[in-house]
Parts: sequence; structure tokens; C-alpha cells
Amino acid sequence: MKKLLAALGAAATISLTAFSAGAQTYPERGITIVVPFAAGGPTDTVTRLVAEAMSKDLGQQVIVENVGGAGGTLGAKQVADADPDGYKLLLYHIGMATSATLYRNLPYKTLEAFEYVGLVTEVPMTILAKKDMAANTLAELVDYAKTNADKVTVANAGIGAASHLCGMLFMSAIGTPLVTVPYKGTGPAMTDLLGGQVDIMCDQTTNTTKHIQAGTVKAYAVTTPKRLDVLPDVPTTTEGGLKGMEFGIWHGLYAPKGTPAEITERLSKSLQVALKDENVVARFAELGTVPSPEADATPAALKAKLESEIARWKPVIEAAGQYAD
Amino acid sequence: MELFDNLSLGFATASTLANLGFCFIGVLLGTLIGVLPGIGPTATIAMLLPITFQIGDPTSALIMLAGIYYGAQYGGSTTAILINLPGESSSAVTAIDGYQMARKGRAGAALATAAIGSFVAGTVSTFLVALLAPPLTGIALQFGAAEYFSLMVLGLISSIALASGSIVKALAMVVLGLLLGLVGTDIYSGTPRFNLGIREYSDGLNFVAVAVGVFGIAEILRNLEDEHERSVAVKKVSSLWPTREDWRRMAAPIVRGTFIGSALGVLPGGGAILAAFASYTVEKRISRNPGEFGKGAIEGVAGPESANNAGAQTSFIPLLTLGIPANPVMALMIGAMIIQGIVPGPNVATEQPALFWGIIASMWIGNVMLVVLNLPLVGLWVKLLTVPYYMLFPIIIAFCSIGIYSVNSNIFDLYSVAFFGFVGYVLVKLRCEPAPLLLGFVLGPLLEENLRRAMILSRGDFSTFVTRPISATLLVLTAAVLAVVLLPSVRKKREEVFVEDE
Amino acid sequence: MVIDRANALCGAIFIAFGAYFGLNSLGMELGTPFRMGPGFFPLFLAAILIVLGLAIAIPAIRVEGEPIGSLPLRGMVFILPSPVLFALTLKGLGFVPSIFLATLLASFASTKMRIPTALILAALMTAFTTAVFVYGLGLPFRLFGPWLGQR
Repeated sequence: MKKLLAALGAAATISLTAFSAGAQTYPERGITIVVPFAAGGPTDTVTRLVAEAMSKDLGQQVIVENVGGAGGTLGAKQVADADPDGYKLLLYHIGMATSATLYRNLPYKTLEAFEYVGLVTEVPMTILAKKDMAANTLAELVDYAKTNADKVTVANAGIGAASHLCGMLFMSAIGTPLVTVPYKGTGPAMTDLLGGQVDIMCDQTTNTTKHIQAGTVKAYAVTTPKRLDVLPDVPTTTEGGLKGMEFGIWHGLYAPKGTPAEITERLSKSLQVALKDENVVARFAELGTVPSPEADATPAALKAKLESEIARWKPVIEAAGQYAD
Repeated sequence: MELFDNLSLGFATASTLANLGFCFIGVLLGTLIGVLPGIGPTATIAMLLPITFQIGDPTSALIMLAGIYYGAQYGGSTTAILINLPGESSSAVTAIDGYQMARKGRAGAALATAAIGSFVAGTVSTFLVALLAPPLTGIALQFGAAEYFSLMVLGLISSIALASGSIVKALAMVVLGLLLGLVGTDIYSGTPRFNLGIREYSDGLNFVAVAVGVFGIAEILRNLEDEHERSVAVKKVSSLWPTREDWRRMAAPIVRGTFIGSALGVLPGGGAILAAFASYTVEKRISRNPGEFGKGAIEGVAGPESANNAGAQTSFIPLLTLGIPANPVMALMIGAMIIQGIVPGPNVATEQPALFWGIIASMWIGNVMLVVLNLPLVGLWVKLLTVPYYMLFPIIIAFCSIGIYSVNSNIFDLYSVAFFGFVGYVLVKLRCEPAPLLLGFVLGPLLEENLRRAMILSRGDFSTFVTRPISATLLVLTAAVLAVVLLPSVRKKREEVFVEDE
Repeated sequence: MVIDRANALCGAIFIAFGAYFGLNSLGMELGTPFRMGPGFFPLFLAAILIVLGLAIAIPAIRVEGEPIGSLPLRGMVFILPSPVLFALTLKGLGFVPSIFLATLLASFASTKMRIPTALILAALMTAFTTAVFVYGLGLPFRLFGPWLGQR
């Protein structure tokens, strides 16, 4: 046992010296970004695009590893436990903030387990209904929902999903609870909306833009302060009469607690370069989103965002009384 | 004619030298990785996906990816036949009779049948995709929760036919599978269920881990039972090629399997999963000697393999026309498309016709390459069986461990392998068959999800299942199957009991 | 008293699984037909499983069945822990030693395996899988882990 402790101690010393030596030459090998969701989803897509651009800037391969499960918290846990050497990072969306309330037994402390690199993007949400919904404006939709509260169904992609959060926010904004229909993922929920099996859904533009453009669903509002370039005909929630219902699915890049500041700064610089990459900007635009501005792709901005979002969602989730564990 | 123009545009796109090359590399890599034991199509595609990101042209990248997909499918069937190790739910069916054929020294014929069946099915369903994609999408959208529930019930009832032994045991295995499928988190309330308090199981048990456990590990343990007395090696390989008799027997099942697979593959909510099972049921029912099924009937390989491949092909329909993935593999495809700058959706066909029709044409080209590549390889795969078994199984275990881990980077999936290897072995030893358990495992969550969703949408009114026409039709069909399937088998079961009594 | 031990045991296993799932479901909300709770469907299935288990076990009493046969104890002891060993050592030792040990362990399940053959086999497998998965496909495995002093 003593020997083991001694060995561990020695290992720790070696690794500490390795850090200080490593900070100047960082990165000297490939970096892994953990995406806490399955490959192919919107977060995975965002990460892969950014990772490719960061590889160019850092001169080292940035690999994406998918560690899905438990609403993203398994992947987050893995990074929280990783060596704070800047070689294992986490790209997680708004779930980082909501899981702090949704999960009552998180195996890490959200605000204490990570260092911050910066915000990546904030994907707007769109409020949709099935194609043959009678209402033509957001105000009409709200009226219809209020008068038919026991008939109107709202689809979501599972507890904690963007569409679930947006649905909760919509119901609290109109002050009327509706019948919630959960699905396993966005795909099947969207299928049922297209087929008219459910009435309303609110989801990220990454999933909805193509359907809105093709006219297979009706779009009522975007949850941003300004209209979107890709959907110029869709009014904002404020224009439509739902003031304060502004939110987006923001994505942040994190490192394990204790990662040296020089390294997070270096990563933050690289993220800023990546977010200006032509390919990233173009692909993000096709998905109906924009990269975060340089001022937001910083450790301080991400930290502030996470803190304010945890505070914002806590009462909404507690009011709904639904937890994920 | 528009279809002709479209197809010729597609073939012009797909048959440039570069694209043919990418298609071939895809098929080759897919086959080589997919054939490794314990590494099914999902893991294969996840592993090979990043390679396609290196290709600049989206059409080429997607053609290569489609090639990987077919290669992985076929590679998965190869391992199912040779060592009883299915990498996905559909090849669990192939494993039933394919592996028995292999044990009788007919591995070559089984592999060739699978390749030929896949090719025929692939050819027919490619044209179906080209011809019928838009109208079929409309039908698929008519399927709501009630319809899916009724479809799953039909599938489960039909699965009784998978059993070659006791019907009661097969039913118990299905129900156990359904329950195991519910392990994880209840999506409606977020409540964790049956996960022993382990967060790593909160998204459910990993299919590959369960499949490798109950099929692969259990089979290895069986072969180790009495090494000295029993020869575990398969009989001497007779002929690599199907005999004239084989050709005659496989023709009709291939045609039927193709149509069953094409029809079910279109449904995005798990229809493709049922294709292979449904085809097996049909073949066993209409066969003149159903007793042969489970003991190496060539129809039991030809039908399901064709259905499987046809379903794989037509599951591209919801992907290409709606941007909706029919299964996890299709979800990976969507990811790949988006990374290549194509957002799948209703507009792809009109905005990027060369890409859309290029992919469709490359499906067929991929199938041709698969046959060309694999028929000569049959000899090589069969040679693998001559490796002494005690050398083979450590290799199998090693590949399985890597393959299972790489799906989710979750070490708890490796613990599941050990657990289900043990449970699976004990159950097989007690003469319960593993295939119905796997079907139940895949359908369990879907069944519950759609039942509950149908009830929410109907406000708790059970009559929704019979007042909706498609759902009612499916339930009538279920009743018919139950009557046809159960009555004779109850009689047969009695006979079996008497045989056991003697 | 005679008993078909295979079927009796088989029935008992199903009943045990049914009981596990059933008891756990009872601890969860059952809900209404409109909004079924997480316990409703599994409880229903568990009940069916128990009935089926009984249907297998009860007829087994007073019937002579085929013997269960020998158990491959050696196989179980070496095969089943192999993936577990891989799981436990992958992060710490790294991919190369971990896959080597897992293959080696599994090798000894057969009485026909000799130690030199096993060592060669494990070494070849390690070389092959490292080449294919780590170098060829670029999977994010560490070759050697922190327990070996590697960073």
C-alpha cells in the first residue's frame, strides 16, 4: 500500500512538472473533444465542424469522441474526471445548465468541476405547428391553445431536450398547461408533426429550417431578438406578442478543473479563429445559426452564461416538477 | 421520361472513376471491419465515418458511406453465419439457420445465398426507391403511435415462428427481452428503471453487448463444454457453391423477402427491424417441411437476408425525402450529410438532383460490387473455420471487447457482455432460444413508447387501436396470424411433449 | 420424486426475472390509462413472465427430463472475466497492455492451449488491433496509460 502511494505521489509530481513544461509547447499531441451525445446529432455536427477548424489553428489533430448517455451528463462526468492537461475537452450545450437542476444526483458539481474556454454558438428555436393547423399567427396559435388546452398536444424529444425546455417555456409564457407528448429524439417527434399526429413543437433551427422552407410545417416565431436571415418571413416571439420568450440552445467548450490558464487561453484563441473559419460560418448559416462573436468565445463570457442560465432554468424546471432521475 | 432522366443523371454521377473508386473502398472497408466478430454495422460505420470527412466532394463522401453501410451489413451477416455472432437485430435471424448450415459444412452455400439474396433484393429495392420514394413517404406519415403499436404486436406474435422448440419458452424469452429492453430511463417521466442504480445504464443496455453475450459468448461456452469428447469443429466443408437444388429453393424466398423488406423498411419507427423476422416467419409457415427450420434450412437464410437488405435500402426513403432517420445507422448518415454541408430534408431531391440520384444509383453499384467482392471471398471466409477453435475464441473475445466499447465508450457495456454471456449460456443450455429474446429486446421500448403515446393522443381511450383503419387492419392480421400459427403449433407442442415423455 | 431439472430451473429463472421486474415496477407510479406511469407496462409484462415461468416449471414436476450435462467451469472462469478485465484496465494501463491481457486470459479457457501459443496469439492480436483500430481508424484509445507512468 505504501509503495502504491509513493508511486502515485511520484506520478503526480511527474505530471505536475509535465504541465508546467507542457504549457509553452501545448499542444504537442492530439486533443480529444468529448461530445456527450451520439454521433450525428446537432451537437455532434457543431463540434465536428469546429474541431476541424481548430485542428488547422492548433497544428494538432482535434478528435471528436462521442460519449452519450443520461442527457449528456455521462460525457460531462468523464471530462470532469480527466487529467487537467488540455488534451480532453467537453463541448456541451444548454444541458450543462439545466442538468444542474434536472438531475438531483449529479456525480459532479456543475460550477466547480470545469474551466471555461468559450461560447461556441447559440442556436435559435422555432415555434412550429402541423401543416393543417388553422391558426396563422402566433397570437392566433396562443388563442387556440388557450381555448383548447385539453386537446392541444405539444411534442418534445425527451426530458431535458431543447424541445422539452422550449415547450415548458412556451406553456409558462402563455400561462396554460397543454398535453405533452414525449418522443425518443427529435427524428420521431418531427415525423409525427409532419404527419399531423401531434399539434405543436418548438425546436432548434438545425432541425426545423428545411421543413419550414419546404412548407411541410407551419412556423410561427423564432425565439431571437431579431429575425433570422434564413427565415426572413418568420416573426420573432416579441413581434408575435410573447415578450421575454427569448432563448437559444447555446453551446460551450469546457476543460477539466485545474487546467492551466495559459492552456484555456490558447484554446479560447483557437476557438475564436475557428469561429471565423469560412467553412464553419457557411455551414452554421445553412443550419440557421451563427458562430458566437469573438467577445463571447472567451472563458469569462462562458462562465457568466452558465451561471445566469442555471439561475434562469431552476425555477422553470422546479415549477414543472419533472426531474430526470 | 422523368424517372429515366433522373436515373441516367444518377448513374452519370455515380460512375465517374473517382466515385466508383470511393464506392469500392467503402464496400471493401465496410466488409473487412464488419466481418470482425462483435463489430456490427453501427460500430463499423461509427468507426469509418471520420474517414469520409476527409473527402472534399459531398457526393463522393456519401457514396463511400453508402458503400461502407452495405459492406458492414454483409460483413455482419458473415460473422452471424460463421460463428453465430450477429452484430445487429436483423442478422440474429440469419444466424439461426445460417450457423446451422455452417456446422453442417455448408458455410459456403449459406454465404453465397446471403450474397445473392442481398444482391437481388438490393437491385429491386433500389428501383423501388427511385420510383416510389414520394408516394411511400406519404404512407409512412400516416403511421402514428397506434399504428406502430399494432405493427409491433403483429411482429411479436409472428415471432413465435422463430422458435424451433418449445413455444412457451420462446414466448417467455420474448417477454424477458421486452423487459430487458425497458432497462434505462422512462422517457415520459424521466424515472430511472431497473438499472440497479448505475447511471451508465440510464440509456438502457447496449444491444451489441446483449447480442454478443447471448449469442456469441454463450456459443463459445457451449463449445468448451466437453472439449475432449465432442469435436467442436464444423464438418468438412462440402461445396462452396449452392447446388442446383439450393438455387431452386432459394429463389422464391428471395423474392418474397425482397417485397417484405421493401415494404417494412419505409416505416421510420422500427419497421426495418421487423423485416428479417417477418420474412423468416413467412418462410417457415409456407414451407412444406417447417421442421427443417432452425436446423439449417436455406430458405431461412435466403428470405431474411433479402428482407434485411431490401429494408436497409428502402429505409433511405424517409432519410432522403424527410430527413428522418429510420434507425441509428441512418442517424449517423444524417450526421455525415450535415458535415458535408447537405441538410437532409424534403428539398434535397430538387435542390441537389445530382447528389440525390447519384446516391440512389450508387446503392445499386454498391450492391454489384458487394457481390463481385464477396463471392470470391466466400472461400477465404470459410477457410477461417479451419482455424482451431481454441485459437479462434480468444480472438473473438478481443474483437468483441473493442467493438462493444467503441460504440459508446462505456465500460459498463463490457460488464453487460459478461453478465449476458452467463445468462445466455444458462438459458440456451436449458433449451431456450436466444433469437426471440433479441427481438423482444429491440421492440420492448418501441412497444411501450407507442402504447403510451397512443393513449395520450387518444386521451386514454383504448378504442383508438380499432377505430383507426390502418391500426385495425394490423390487429385483424395479428388475430389471423395467431389463429394460423398457434393452432397447429399447439398440436405440435403436444406431440413434442409426448416425444419427451418417452 | 422425479423432476425435469432443466425445465424446473428454466421456469424458476423466468419467475425470478419476473419477480425482479415486477417488484421494482410496484415501487413506481402506475398512472392512469391516459397517462401511464413508468411502472404500468413493465408490471404487466412481469406478470406475464411469471405466468409463463409457472407454465414451464409446473409440468416439469414428476416428469423425467434430459440431464443438464456438464458445465464448462474452466471456460466460464476464463472467458467471462476477459471483457471485464479489458474494461477495468483500459483507462489505467492503456490499450496495448489491456487488450494483451484480455486476450491472454481468454486463451486459457481451453485445455488445449499451451502457454507459448497463448503468448504469441495475444501478442499478434495486440499488434493487429493496435494497427487497425488505433493507427488505421484513429479511434481515441491511449496506447499506454497513466498506471505505467505515461501521459
